[in-house]
Amino acid sequence: MSQAMIHASGLVKGYSRGGETLTVLDRLDLEMAEGRFYALMGPSGSGKTTLLNLIGGLDQADEGSLLVAGADLASLDAPALARWRAANVGFVFQGFNLIPVLTALENVELPLTLAPLSRKERRDHARYALKLVGLEEREGHRPGQLSGGQEQRVAIARAVASDPKVLLCDEPTGDLDRKSADQVLELLARLNAEFRKTILMVTHDPHAAAVATSIVHLDKGQLGRIEQNAPRAGAATRG
Amino acid sequence: MVSLKLVRRYLLRHKVRSLLTVGSLVVALFLLCLLQSLVVALDAGVRNAKRNRLVVQSAVSLFVDLPVAYQQKIAAVEGVQHICKWQWFGGRYGDDPMAFAQFGVDMEVMDRLYPEVVIVEGSYVDVMADRRGCVIGKSLAQRHGLKLGDTIPLIGTIFPGPNGAAWEFIVRAIYEPANTAVDPGTMFFRWDYLDESVKAMTGESPGTGTYFLRTAPGADQVAVAAAIEKLFENGPQRVTSSTEAEFNAQFVSMMGNVPFFVSAIGTGVLIAIVLACINTMLLAFREQQHDAGIAKALGFTDGSVAGLMLAQSLLLCGLGGFSGLLLSKLLEPAMRALLGSQFPGYEVTNQTLLLGALVTLAIGLAAGLVPTLRARSLRVVDALRSVE
Repeated sequence: MSQAMIHASGLVKGYSRGGETLTVLDRLDLEMAEGRFYALMGPSGSGKTTLLNLIGGLDQADEGSLLVAGADLASLDAPALARWRAANVGFVFQGFNLIPVLTALENVELPLTLAPLSRKERRDHARYALKLVGLEEREGHRPGQLSGGQEQRVAIARAVASDPKVLLCDEPTGDLDRKSADQVLELLARLNAEFRKTILMVTHDPHAAAVATSIVHLDKGQLGRIEQNAPRAGAATRG
Repeated sequence: MVSLKLVRRYLLRHKVRSLLTVGSLVVALFLLCLLQSLVVALDAGVRNAKRNRLVVQSAVSLFVDLPVAYQQKIAAVEGVQHICKWQWFGGRYGDDPMAFAQFGVDMEVMDRLYPEVVIVEGSYVDVMADRRGCVIGKSLAQRHGLKLGDTIPLIGTIFPGPNGAAWEFIVRAIYEPANTAVDPGTMFFRWDYLDESVKAMTGESPGTGTYFLRTAPGADQVAVAAAIEKLFENGPQRVTSSTEAEFNAQFVSMMGNVPFFVSAIGTGVLIAIVLACINTMLLAFREQQHDAGIAKALGFTDGSVAGLMLAQSLLLCGLGGFSGLLLSKLLEPAMRALLGSQFPGYEVTNQTLLLGALVTLAIGLAAGLVPTLRARSLRVVDALRSVE
């Protein structure tokens, strides 16, 4: 049995809109095992991205406890939370979110500047990550000179460069064509299978969700059913 | 930690905008140094005045001449070592719009009274050997292509020449000032030549506007000044004695509150440039807030992301400001040549450069303050939602 990488208990998160409080996550309990690939699905407004933000330490829960990679996120102040993110979490966003003034290599190298590495070690790590996503030839290109699929692969390289325990992906294929989306999904599946990265991927796309080992359904801030997928060999290229 | 590479890239992202901001800072800081140097120049005569020199003038006005007979009486006052007549001539030289000052002086004591007037060509002996001889400043010589032996014709406006003709003076020596308080564009000629000539025409001595005197080492300046004033308390012309610094200060005060006026212009320029820089940095922040959110998501702390904004502001303002300071220093000789006769003490001093550096730093901090605070308090989820 795998250890729990993510453990949420009684998680509550709400937003104030025009004087009214909208509860997005309502006493959510969740446990995700280390080394698995989860797809988080649900209708719009069900709290998928909010949950992802809480797990990534980008936002704070109103109530409840949340343990990720062994850390109680509520107990960390802002600088400690930033350091924790740098060491434990990699983000992949729908809009790629690369820094436009940096090259692909420099983008991948950016989070590594927070690690105790020499300049050469940083460069080597970043080049290795780019090679992993098959873009070593494009290291000198800026985001504007890359296709959407390539940008997302650079973003994945950046997310894994510092060897985080958890990869949080928010609609990583949402802005991509099918072919590029399949490449990205295949890459995520490989990172999970070969490097044992725990991956939590928010998606609306059943095709994308099929790559995950488990599908977690979220509805109205509550956890729904959890499906276990069949072995995923070739899943990313299906359909 | 702030990546300098990232700072540089962001500044180069909008090259024209950065260039214009830097350009406006160059102009503003150059202007600030220029104005401050003018204030310093106005004050140079006061600042560099010799402590062992006194000036005696009419108690009524500087424009009222003193009798020549006073000289011996003043020279006899205890503590007075040397005394020299100074008479303003006010001649016109051709069509030169930048007229230079001319004074009739007792040439035989000039070297002892004014050691900072350093003769670099010819000598006082040569001047004394020629009753029409004169000493001119090097910049005056350069401006009019004058050299030793040349004649300087001057149309007398206070003392008309013989039969209305021009006075003619012969260049017998050229000086260079040892400090910026001495105008390098002045002409000194022999008072005795003026006296003889005016007497021959009018039968009266031209008198002297002031007496400059040097006190003996250890002499009490206040006591010497008081003794001189007391000497002529009941005389035909009462006098007032002042230190050279006080004497020079009255010329600055004659111009009104010029330092305040100049400072007000400088302050106005600075306020305008601060507002322009704030605007530039706010634009930069707006463009970069999404990136700031990404950086925070990657693990950069609020402080390091805020530092990125502040570093951009400081680098941008520093580049412009220090270029302006450098330009003002490089153009110092040219500005001195241009303003020489009006502002002989024009000098971009180290204090002025330090002031400029502090102002540059202040502009950088002021321009970066709001974007820095905003970047610091920016919530990652809000920043990632923002669209550039």
